[in-house]
Amino acid sequence: MKSDRLKLITTIEDLRYYLIQGMKIEHATIPPYLTALYSLKPGSNLEAFHMIRPIVVEEMLHLTLAANVFNAVGGNIEGVFTNPEFVPRYPTKLPTGEEEFLVNVGKFSKQAVKTFLNIERSKEVTQDEPLVGSRVKEEFLLSIFGYDPTKSFSSIRLFYAEVIRGLYALHKEMGDALFCGDPQKQISREYYYNGAGDIIKVTDFDSAIRALTLIQEQGEGSRTEAIYDAEKKLCHYYRFEQLELGQYYVVDKNEPLNSDKPHCPTGKTFTVDWDAVYPVKENAKLNDYPKGSELYTAAQDFQKAYSKFLEEIEDSFNGNPEKLVLAVGGMFRLRDLANSLIRNPIPGMDGVNGAPIYRLD
Amino acid sequence: MDIDTPEFMEYFLDFSVAVTGFSRFDLQGTGQVSLYFSTIRGIIGDQIFGELLQTFHDLDRKAKRENNQSVLTDGISFEILVSGKLGPIARNIIKLWYTAIWYQLPSPWQEKFGARQNDITFIVSPYAYPEGLLWPAIGVNPPGAKAPGYGTWSEPPSVKLS
Repeated sequence: MKSDRLKLITTIEDLRYYLIQGMKIEHATIPPYLTALYSLKPGSNLEAFHMIRPIVVEEMLHLTLAANVFNAVGGNIEGVFTNPEFVPRYPTKLPTGEEEFLVNVGKFSKQAVKTFLNIERSKEVTQDEPLVGSRVKEEFLLSIFGYDPTKSFSSIRLFYAEVIRGLYALHKEMGDALFCGDPQKQISREYYYNGAGDIIKVTDFDSAIRALTLIQEQGEGSRTEAIYDAEKKLCHYYRFEQLELGQYYVVDKNEPLNSDKPHCPTGKTFTVDWDAVYPVKENAKLNDYPKGSELYTAAQDFQKAYSKFLEEIEDSFNGNPEKLVLAVGGMFRLRDLANSLIRNPIPGMDGVNGAPIYRLD
Repeated sequence: MDIDTPEFMEYFLDFSVAVTGFSRFDLQGTGQVSLYFSTIRGIIGDQIFGELLQTFHDLDRKAKRENNQSVLTDGISFEILVSGKLGPIARNIIKLWYTAIWYQLPSPWQEKFGARQNDITFIVSPYAYPEGLLWPAIGVNPPGAKAPGYGTWSEPPSVKLS
């Protein structure tokens, strides 16, 4: 029963469980975004390239922030990233309980952009099925985040709303004892070369809230009816929507209220070339490649390297933050290999190209 | 000669594998195969480019038929690289793959086979530059592109030659 999968947060264990789900969600967005990004032919669709790439980088920041919060509340990260189920089996449902859409790993397309909008959506709270029981406490917070306790989480934003609500409730109950984690496990600026907003060291209530709010806002906005986050940057949802509408949004950084309204961009128009894309094999598996082919070996190399990368990430989040720098170097080599895979036709499959495989099966 | 067929594209890939030392996977992984093909064709024309590819393909077929790789390697040396006509083109193709630059053909070639209007030294495209084989050959990223990540400069270069 899906309604049993995510319960409201009432204990520190619940909170840790939610944060693991959070890390899984953040990570689950990376393979589809990256694969779509690298499917763009070199030099084409520069608008799309420059829109999607920073989003992926921000998802990586979110993942790190979620790990920081998890470590701060004393979660044991060992076995989280290295769990075989950490990487979803695509097509997948996002592990928030949003069961009405599937996420595929494939090429950049109109359908892919629709899925990305679904992932990042903020307002469309349409699912009626109850996922969590009614709860009367913390009404103030619930109303701030537009969370209706009789509905399931229909967006990542609402999922984090529950995490934040739980954090408030537990902090009220436990005080600073909630932050019982080892501060040495925090990833801070020395180890995170940021290009996507600030990494936040989480050691107390305020920093935990800042970290979680940043995740929430970069995705979907600082409040309803706003297209930008607290840093006055366009949120992911509206960045993707620009691709659907072929037009840029304008954010007025000095007078934010004069910014464009949702769904009504007024900036420069551009044309998306949906055909200037490599025909990537959707949700590729190793046995999609002829055994013994170079492509098979390369796909296998990628698969192993990705799994090693996750191990290194886990290790660096587990008290060895200095190892993150080199793990990230490995990530860049993965990028080059992913590009090569995507540009290579699969022998024997007419007009279908290779794709990276993220999950080790 | 019409070289606008999938076969000639295949010959071009096979030829490129033979003269660059990189695999088909690596070459296709650059995403530049068809751009290079059309660039070379646009500069020297179908006749001589086709002759080069056909010469290579005949050698390749012969080597496979006789199951003797040296037919191909010797053939590339003596029928292509030594040839006054095909040699400079072949060397230009090697340089093109490694540096993404088309180098103007030497003047003896131009005098003998005719100067070509588009035959000037130029970088084929801004997106080809970071895909030059030079960079993986020496195990570094192309300066200004394919950033290897903060702090990776403390690691030794990773040379990967298949």
